[in-house]
Amino acid sequence: MDYMDIFGVWLSVFLTLSIFSYLYKDNPFYKAAEHLYIGISAGYVAVISFWQQIQPNLFGRLWPRIDANADMGMFKSAWYFVYEILNWVSTLGGWLDRSIFPANGIKGFDGISWIYIIPFMLGIFMLLRLVPRLGWLARWAIAYIVGMAAGLRFYGFLNSDVLMQVKAATVDFSGDWWSIFNGLILLIGTLSGLVYFFFSKEQTGIVGKISKIGIYFLMIKFGASFGFAVMGRISLLIGRFDDLIVSNSPQNYYATLWILSAMIVLLGIWAFFDKPETEELTV
Amino acid sequence: MFLKRQMPAIIAIGVGLFILFGHFINNPNVQGFVNNDATQWFDIIASFAIFLGALNMLKLQVLKVVKKQRNWQYSILAIFGFAFAIFAGFFFRGANYITLTDIHPQNVNKLVEYISTVQEVDDPVLMVKGIQGSLASYEIPKIFISRSSAEAFSVTISGIAKDVTLGVKPWGAHVQIKGSLFSWMFFKIFTPLSSTMFALLAFFVASASYRAFRIRNFEATLLLVAGIILMIGRVPVGELVPWWLVSTLMVFGIGALIAPLIPDKKLLFGIIIGGIVLTSGLGILLDWNLAVNMPAILSLPNISEWIFDYPTAAGSRAIMIGIALGIIATSFRIILGIERPF
Amino acid sequence: MDLLKKIFIALGSMDRRFIFLLVGLSVLLPKLYPDLFTLPIKASSHSQRVFDEIDALKEDSKVLVSFEYGPSTKPEIHPSAIALLNHLFSKNIKVYAVALWPDGNFMATEAFSQVADGYGKKYGVDYVNLGYKPGGEAVVKGLASDIRTMYTVDLLGNDIDSIEMMKDVKNLLDLDFIFSLSAGYPGSKEWVQFACDPLGIPMSTGCTSIQVTDIIPYVENDQIKGILSGMPGAAEYEQLVQDALNERGIVVSPGKASINMAAQSMAHVVIVLLIILGNITYYLTRKSGKKGGM
Repeated sequence: MDYMDIFGVWLSVFLTLSIFSYLYKDNPFYKAAEHLYIGISAGYVAVISFWQQIQPNLFGRLWPRIDANADMGMFKSAWYFVYEILNWVSTLGGWLDRSIFPANGIKGFDGISWIYIIPFMLGIFMLLRLVPRLGWLARWAIAYIVGMAAGLRFYGFLNSDVLMQVKAATVDFSGDWWSIFNGLILLIGTLSGLVYFFFSKEQTGIVGKISKIGIYFLMIKFGASFGFAVMGRISLLIGRFDDLIVSNSPQNYYATLWILSAMIVLLGIWAFFDKPETEELTV
Repeated sequence: MFLKRQMPAIIAIGVGLFILFGHFINNPNVQGFVNNDATQWFDIIASFAIFLGALNMLKLQVLKVVKKQRNWQYSILAIFGFAFAIFAGFFFRGANYITLTDIHPQNVNKLVEYISTVQEVDDPVLMVKGIQGSLASYEIPKIFISRSSAEAFSVTISGIAKDVTLGVKPWGAHVQIKGSLFSWMFFKIFTPLSSTMFALLAFFVASASYRAFRIRNFEATLLLVAGIILMIGRVPVGELVPWWLVSTLMVFGIGALIAPLIPDKKLLFGIIIGGIVLTSGLGILLDWNLAVNMPAILSLPNISEWIFDYPTAAGSRAIMIGIALGIIATSFRIILGIERPF
Repeated sequence: MDLLKKIFIALGSMDRRFIFLLVGLSVLLPKLYPDLFTLPIKASSHSQRVFDEIDALKEDSKVLVSFEYGPSTKPEIHPSAIALLNHLFSKNIKVYAVALWPDGNFMATEAFSQVADGYGKKYGVDYVNLGYKPGGEAVVKGLASDIRTMYTVDLLGNDIDSIEMMKDVKNLLDLDFIFSLSAGYPGSKEWVQFACDPLGIPMSTGCTSIQVTDIIPYVENDQIKGILSGMPGAAEYEQLVQDALNERGIVVSPGKASINMAAQSMAHVVIVLLIILGNITYYLTRKSGKKGGM
């Protein structure tokens, strides 16, 4: 293993134990790791979104790869001149190698899709949210996303989450008594649960009684969710402990042991000198 | 004012109607746009929204440092983390690889030995097999972050094959390939931080359960019992819970349910004890210790599976339909222009 | 008796860090001493259903595997991914990988690197990794219509039309099965709503424990054919795959989820005991409070 790998193991153990140190109390190790996480995750998602979506699917459609020797015409040449300007900016005036804008266009699509200027402009408008005077332009981009999501979800949820679920709640009386019983449980549970969520009528009398049954089914559901939530969290904890144990191997120079020991000592010193804020205020 | 207020509403309504009715309009251009381009536009704008979020985070952290607000020193780390991710993503590829051409067959084992000095090899026999199948051209699985380390290694293995060439993975692919600087950042910094943040919750769930999970009423009891049955029944330890413990707990449960109907506590106690004796006796008589003889209802995993498949599914279905109706109503309001969340 | 009551009441106010220590030890000890804590794994009906659906697929079928999880949920879902790839590759089924989460790319790469070579599978011929696209349900909808509008190149930058196994795949209708490895949004729900229900393509899922109760209505309605719920589900599926492959003479080592089931079980027992203890303490405190008030 090379030094970068070993350094990486020690760094990952340090960051893991820094987050776990919160179990003792909020401390500088935890705060530092938390802030690093905020920065890294924002950068990470931005980089991935750019290289997986913007560069191939937007820029690749606006400036697809062309034959350098072909006759383009004035308009197309002017368009690819814009491409070269963007490249000049992205390479800091030609100081860096070409990356985002490779020579002669981006491999992928065959012809220019001019219509993609619209999402490009809407994307720029989205970024203008950071400029106070022009921030209102972001509403156009958000409006597109909201409208698109509304149209998409309307059909998807109506079909899969309403119609098909209502169909599934029916009872098949041709089966054996056990399957009929289970079918009735599902039907009664679904109906009574839905009655509980119906707030347009006062929940008294027969409606109140059905609603009560609905609550019981919902409580069982929440209990199951709780059980599964605990299961999920414990699984993740096991995963972290796995990594800490593997990092404590001789090849990694017992990283976990050394870092844990150092952290306990340093946290002890910090806790000894750390005064609560109220004490400072009273001085 | 029209551009600021009415125009966004027109866009949202127009797009919403177009996408919704696009399902039902049998025109290839409309279908093509709705199914392909409209979704691509959504993806592209969503990506820009991600950049906006990242830049907004950066702006907040920078302002915190500039104005020297509380704990501003930690914000430097946040800015550093962001800058490092951007550097690894856009300015430093760090995805150097080595390709060997015409490997000498007798050098294959030696090559695996060399590779094991720079990368962990789980199964050397499998790797030998893989190389033997690609003697004409073989790309070493190790990706080098720095050009100099790749060059140093290529010198080490120069006698192994006829030709040793150095290459760099293309921009874009470098963020996905294991071994590049970006992937190093992902596995050594991002992964431990995000995983541990989630794993931390395991402790707090346990603490909160201990302090707050109380049997105050029948509904809370249902919730607790369902949770406990599922927690124990879904893991292997549930198989070890003996039938008599399950039957005893069932008798206690029935006793708790009928307790309000029996004012005489001695009678209630007698019924419970009688129930336990009866079920235990029956179990011994019918030899329920053998799995084939044991009724399914006395197996905790079976009980947990039934609770999961039926009452839980019913409750989940009710919630799912309720949420779906809410989303449909909200989507309809957006399409009609009544709701304007922008 | 009074002493016992006092002990229980005192335990009720114990520092939460002691509880953290108990939970930590309940997970750590089985990991450090695995021989002391071995438990049998029995497959549930849902895990069996997933196994049966995959096992029923014929050789050269085309299966799309969608990686919608990241490192934070890797312990729960990644073992399912490994077992699934073992199962698919052992049956010579072609695997098409996509990711709706950015982290899914790395998970997919890691899974393939761990499994593919053992079966002699070649990239581009037996499996392909198309990579991540942002957009959630919009991506699923796009794939349902035409894969090439979403992906022009694969994860490694290869032109999609140059990949042998992509030649006769235009959209999701050309595939035989979808498997979603899901940790949240976007995930299994979006595959059901925008691909499987509209197009009638069969689908299974391996998801985090937290998501399971939300997905179960789809499973119960046969919209999703079986579910691997969290790490226990993954362990059950690993066991089924291991047994099946061992029968066919393919040696597969025990998966990570199976190895971790002892730790999972111990932690659950400790938490249940803590809840019971908490309720006993609550009951005793309430009783002594009532007596004091009288």
